Amino acid sequence: MNKLLEILSDVRPDIDFSQTNLLVEDGILDSFDIVMLVGELNEAYEIKIGVEDLVPENFNSVDSIMNLINRLKDE
Amino acid sequence: MIFTSSIFWIFLFIVLLLYFLIPKNSQWIVLLIASYVFYLFSGYGMVTFLLFTTTISFFAGILLEKINNNSKDYLNNNKSLTREQRKEFKRIIERKKRIIIFISIMLIFSILGFLKYYNFFSLNLTTLSNKLSVNLDLPSLQILLPLGISFYTFQSVGYIIDINRGKIKADKNFPKFALFLSYFPQIVQGPISRYDQLAKQLYESHPFNYDRVKFGFQLVLWGLFKKMVIADRLAIPVNNIFNNYLEYEGFSIFVGVLFFSFQMYCDFSGGIDIARGISEVMGINLVENFQRPFFSSSIDEYWRRWHITLGSWMREYVFYPLSLSKAFTKLGRSLRKTFGNYLGKILPTLIATIITFLAVGIWHGPNWKYVAFGLYYGILISAGIFLAPVRKSTLNKLKIKTDGFSWRLLNILFVFFATTIGRYFARADGIMQAGSMLKRTFSVYNPWVFFDGSLLKLGLSRHEYSIVFISILVLLLIEIFQENGVHIRTTIAKQNLLFRWSLYLAAIFTVLIFGIYGPEYVATDFIYQGF
Repeated sequence: MNKLLEILSDVRPDIDFSQTNLLVEDGILDSFDIVMLVGELNEAYEIKIGVEDLVPENFNSVDSIMNLINRLKDE
Repeated sequence: MIFTSSIFWIFLFIVLLLYFLIPKNSQWIVLLIASYVFYLFSGYGMVTFLLFTTTISFFAGILLEKINNNSKDYLNNNKSLTREQRKEFKRIIERKKRIIIFISIMLIFSILGFLKYYNFFSLNLTTLSNKLSVNLDLPSLQILLPLGISFYTFQSVGYIIDINRGKIKADKNFPKFALFLSYFPQIVQGPISRYDQLAKQLYESHPFNYDRVKFGFQLVLWGLFKKMVIADRLAIPVNNIFNNYLEYEGFSIFVGVLFFSFQMYCDFSGGIDIARGISEVMGINLVENFQRPFFSSSIDEYWRRWHITLGSWMREYVFYPLSLSKAFTKLGRSLRKTFGNYLGKILPTLIATIITFLAVGIWHGPNWKYVAFGLYYGILISAGIFLAPVRKSTLNKLKIKTDGFSWRLLNILFVFFATTIGRYFARADGIMQAGSMLKRTFSVYNPWVFFDGSLLKLGLSRHEYSIVFISILVLLLIEIFQENGVHIRTTIAKQNLLFRWSLYLAAIFTVLIFGIYGPEYVATDFIYQGF
């Protein structure tokens, strides 16, 4: 989890990620952030977040991002 | 066999008769035979290319799925593997899949590449070598482009990638799969359907349904109206101006390009309406390819409403894979270090956008003008993204209300103007002509051409202009209704019998009387059929 928070704060240092679970729907993370984040996550966790995973539900909160990572790691 | 030719209507009549008369579970066989008969009309040899692409993508799909399944089974049966071992196994599988994808897509694209782009490369390489005094003399070949090649090639590549992504299951039935790639209403000019949007509908049985058949034919009629009454009529002044552009300047040229905007839209979307209408008659819903693009209030939105299936194909299979690639992640990181977080964040997207639009441009054809066309849109959209914060703060400072109708109208007009400029490249014979026409447009101010009868010398009489004007007004009115959520055909269905049938008959006679039937009643080609 700490590793993820580190990556997130690197992508968007201005946001307190623990405070919200509507990161995408409230427009806090825009599509540029997501694209950048996906690249970083793919590398850091050695996973492959694909085009089909780019849906708001997967990026709305730290927990949902963590779930996505865990799911892809298990696959 | 063009949609607007009489032979097509005889063909369609026979197909529909068979389609609804034979046992329902064999309907797909009628469609397959009809599609190949339709295709054979475009030239016997051309079928070879279609069959080649069908075979390659069919077997690539099966192979990819087999690897996917086998690797899943292996991992499930060997839970004791260490993390490192699993990772190594996955790496090998990924490599295997990548090789299959690479070979199959290369084979499919190389046919398209050779047939469509060979002469372009040979000509440019010869010119370049002459300049470098190497004197390479590559021959130019007389190549006939197989019907719909740009459309079915993209559809088959999408299919292969979707299987690799695990989004769809591979088709195990070759004849059925052949139908997916050759389905006759859409092979001419799209829409570029995805396997999960279309295949199942083609294989299922569809009983005769009066309402659906009625709605389908209404859409066909609407498409014919757009194509034959508006597009083919506007083609006359458009051809006149573009073929003799040195005789025109200022507003005369601009009017020609404006006419071409409407011609292009009515030609392409009319053709799609006919394809969707015929499909609807048979119980098949083809995806939409147009959503009233002239109502877009940004260029970005325009490309989500114009040739939607090409745009979404490019987004799905070019833009995102590029943006999410390792190279782009690295690029983003180094740009962030140099230019700070904001620029580092958007610059890779801007680069991916420009590359994607270059691909959109080149998809249209082997010509530098399409490279310019792609770059034009790529740069325009990138500039929009880049300047978004400046735009926002300027609007705030000037206290401009952006939620009102006037602001939307202004944006719509801007997009319409910007896309009209793009059409200089789409219609001119080459990049030099497009450039020259642009220069001739903006170097002269001659608004009197609207009043001194100049426009009447372009091949359309006053009476013909009235037909075009009223038709475009009808089109505009219908689209305004649709923009406001009115479903025209359902609304008409609710009216009294007398009103309904008067309307249908009026529409039929409008197409029959005011349609343009080409020299000696030869149906005119659709523009996008050439791509």
